[in-house]
Order: sequence, then structure tokens, then C-alpha cells
Amino acid sequence: MKEFMLIFLGPSYAELKLSPEEMQSRMGKWWGWQSKMEEAGILRGGHALHASAKRISGESRTVSDGPFAESKELVGGYYIIKAKDVNQAIEISQDYPDFDLNGSVEVREVMVFEQ
Amino acid sequence: MKQTKIMDHLFRHQYGRMVSILTRIFGLTNLETIEDAVQDTFIKAMQTWRSELPENPEAWLTKAAKNRAIDLLRKIRADQNRILKLENGPASMVLNDLFLDHEIEDSQLRMIFTACHPNLNSNNQIAFALKTISGFSIKEIAAALLLKEETVKKRLFRARKELQNKEITFEIPNRFELPNRIDRVLEVLYLIFNEGFHSTQNELLIRRDLCTEAMRLCKFLLKKEELSSHSAYALFALMCFHAARLESKVDEKNEMKDLKSQDRSKWHFPLIFAGNDAMNKAVENATLSTYHYEAAIAAEHVKATSFESTDWNRILFWYKKLYDLQNSDFTLLNMVMVYIQLKKFEMAEQLLDSIDPDQLEQRAYLYFGTYSELFHQKKQLNKAINYLEKAIGLVNNQLERAYLQNKMALLENS
Repeated sequence: MKEFMLIFLGPSYAELKLSPEEMQSRMGKWWGWQSKMEEAGILRGGHALHASAKRISGESRTVSDGPFAESKELVGGYYIIKAKDVNQAIEISQDYPDFDLNGSVEVREVMVFEQ
Repeated sequence: MKQTKIMDHLFRHQYGRMVSILTRIFGLTNLETIEDAVQDTFIKAMQTWRSELPENPEAWLTKAAKNRAIDLLRKIRADQNRILKLENGPASMVLNDLFLDHEIEDSQLRMIFTACHPNLNSNNQIAFALKTISGFSIKEIAAALLLKEETVKKRLFRARKELQNKEITFEIPNRFELPNRIDRVLEVLYLIFNEGFHSTQNELLIRRDLCTEAMRLCKFLLKKEELSSHSAYALFALMCFHAARLESKVDEKNEMKDLKSQDRSKWHFPLIFAGNDAMNKAVENATLSTYHYEAAIAAEHVKATSFESTDWNRILFWYKKLYDLQNSDFTLLNMVMVYIQLKKFEMAEQLLDSIDPDQLEQRAYLYFGTYSELFHQKKQLNKAINYLEKAIGLVNNQLERAYLQNKMALLENS
């Protein structure tokens, strides 16, 4: 088994002006996906992230305020999951609920140093 | 035990509660800021509840509203112009008290009376009520009322402006004003319900939402003894009887079904029983409102086990009463349909001739459709076809047009 990080990129929820009803139903879908992964025992962890951010960069450690990228490409959260290979990780990502909001999932394998 | 589900529409209902509480604290002038803050709370809830639901989601949201109130207090206090207002205003009340259940209900009532204020333009009012009381988004309101999103935005803007220009206060009316103000609230609920029930163009889901909201708010009023008038019970009964038939108005193929061809086994009987209960309370008093008569008519329809066994004489009796109270051409048109069912064609024609179709505006097609039905029943097929053509030429709604065209095919083949 390998570990993968699923990184969720998409527009910020605040800009989408979803109604309370839509938010509730979307939450239900996230809930369903997460429960499914938990039952399969493949979810290692993960969180949603606040949209606001600080970036510290350069030799001078300059601190700047986010969000930085275009709002369409905001990192909204991540999961770490267990999967056989990248194809299975892609398969698991099919349940990501925000494709219809132009969201996307980036699948990255966690690097393990082989001794 | 880990909770896996929250109540249906919890967010929608909590939205209205939170906006009401915060408006009571910060006043109607801060409504937009308040709505943004509440929206933000829900976005956070949606994201953090993903991994684990709080034990008591409602309490979580109420607490979140309180925290928002404290944030806003800081934010708004920073705005020099408003300090004065706040110090004299309701913000000086003890914040915690406003989050007690009965105070929350009080805030909700203030919001209902504000949104349904008689000085607001009624078009703007419905959009505004759906937004602030019921937490509908602009997109949902547009879909529900068959409007463009831009139009909804304008209406919301105008409503907020009217509230300020007409100096409408966020209060429960005093006992002298109360009866009239309740009547206006009922009227708005009636309009919202009808938007849901009579519109055939949009999808069932959003229509059902409108009906459910109108019924929820009506029930909310009925729970308060001082607000539960007999007309409110009658309105609730009317809503129940109609809502019981909502699902059967359109079939699986999305074709419109008239009363005659509806599958009566699909009617929702618990709602009919609830309607009966409300009706019993509604008639405890001798004064009857238009809602009473409309409910009585709707009750006759749901009482009949088949279209053929409908008691048309009884329905005619109620329509006449209704017409006495409210001279509407639509009531007359409905009466004509009843006369046709009773095969009293002369009465039907006489009554039809007294109506000016131009006065019916967008619904003039109903007039010609009724004429066509009259001639059909009198077996004068050519005339029936002519009038039906006129009706089809005037109807805007696609489902209704399809319904009339089906009828045309039947006439032409008979």
C-alpha cells in the first residue's frame, strides 16, 4: 500500500454564493465520501483549510497576505489516503463532491525513502 | 454515538434565525453585513462538519451566531457614524438574553412582520422574505419565481431601500395594528404558497420548497396564541389540501394532469388530515375569510374519491360565497367550470360573457380554454376547436401549452 495526498483545488466557497440549502446538501456529500473511506479503512487524515493565508518568502522572510493564486485555484483542503497505486487513488477521487463547481483534485504520492 | 445526519433544511431554517437575531442587535441598516456574516458561518460549518458533526448542530450554530455578533459589534463599533445609534439602540441589551429560545422566536417574528410590512412593494417583498426569512439564494429565488437573477437582485436592493426610506422598524406591531399586520403576513404567505403550487414551469423540487416554507411559517404563527387567528388556520388548511395534491399535478413524463386525470391514490393523506384539523379550528369563529372558502373548495375536491363523485353543487355554493367576499374574475371563471360540470350550460355561458378577457391579462387563455370546454360539452366541436386555438395562441407556459395541445388532438380526433 502507498499513501497519496489528495489536494482539493477550486473556487472559494465564499465567492460561489451557495444557498444554505446547497451548502447543507454539499456537506452531506462530503460526509458520505469521508464515511465511505473511513469504513474502507483507507483514510489517514485530512482537513479543510481557511481561504485566508500568509506567505513567507525569500531570504528576507517577507510576509504577504493571501489568498495568492487566482481564486479559481485555491487549495481548499486535503486528505491523505491509502491506495494500491495511483489508479486506485484516482478511482477513490471520483467521489470528490465539488467537480460541478469547477473544483479539481490533485493526486500526489507521498514519498517514502526506501532504505 | 457518532451522528451521521442532520435535520432536513437545518441550514436554511437556521439562516433565518441567525439573520433575525443579529438584525435585532444591529438593526436593519446593517442587514447586508449581517447576511454576509451568517453566510460565512455556514461556509465554516460546511467545511468543518465534513469530518465530524457536532453533537448538537443547532446549538453549535446558535453559538456561532453569538460569536458573529461579538465580531460584528467590534466591526460596527469601529464605524464612527454608528456608535450613537448602537448605544441608544437594542445593542445595549444583554447579548446573552437574545440567544434564549423565546427571544430567538421573538426576533424571527420581528423579521416576519418586517418582511411582510404593508408599505413594501409586494413583488420586492416576496423576494426579500424568501431571502431573509427562508435563506433562499438569489439563484433559488430566481428559479422559484421564474425571474432573472438580475431582477431578483434589483428587487432585494429595492426592498432594503424601502425599509430604510419608509423608516420601517424591526418590531412586532402593537395590539392595535396587529390584526391588519397579521392579515398582510398571511397574504404574503398565501402568495409564496401559490407561486409554488400554481406554477407549472419549474421543477418540482423548488416548487415544493416554496410550499413547504409558506406552510412552515404559517405553522410558526399558529404556535403563537396571540397570532393564531381563524384565518391563519383556514390558510393553513388550504395549504394542506393543496399540498396534498402537489405531487400528482405532473406525471412521470412531466405532463400536466388536471383534476380529472390525477392519480388520486398519490395524494398525500396525512396532509389532508392535518388540513381537516386546521379547518376545524378555523371555523370555531363565525367570521369567515376568503381562505375559509378556498379551503372549503379544496376540501371538497380532496374529499371526492373520484372526479365523478365530486359534489359540484357544494363547490358552487362555496364559490358564490367566495365571490361575495372578493369579486374576482378568476372566481367567476372557476364558477363557470363548475356550471359546466353540472351541465348548466346556459348559466355557464351567461357568466362567461360577463367576463372581459382583457382584464385577465396573462391568464386570458383560461377564458378561451373555458369557452372551448363549454362548447365541447355542448358537442359543438368546431367552436370548441376555434376557442382552443385562441387559448393556445395566448398561453405562455410550456407545460400548459402541451396540455392544451393534447386536448386539441383529442378534439380533432373525436
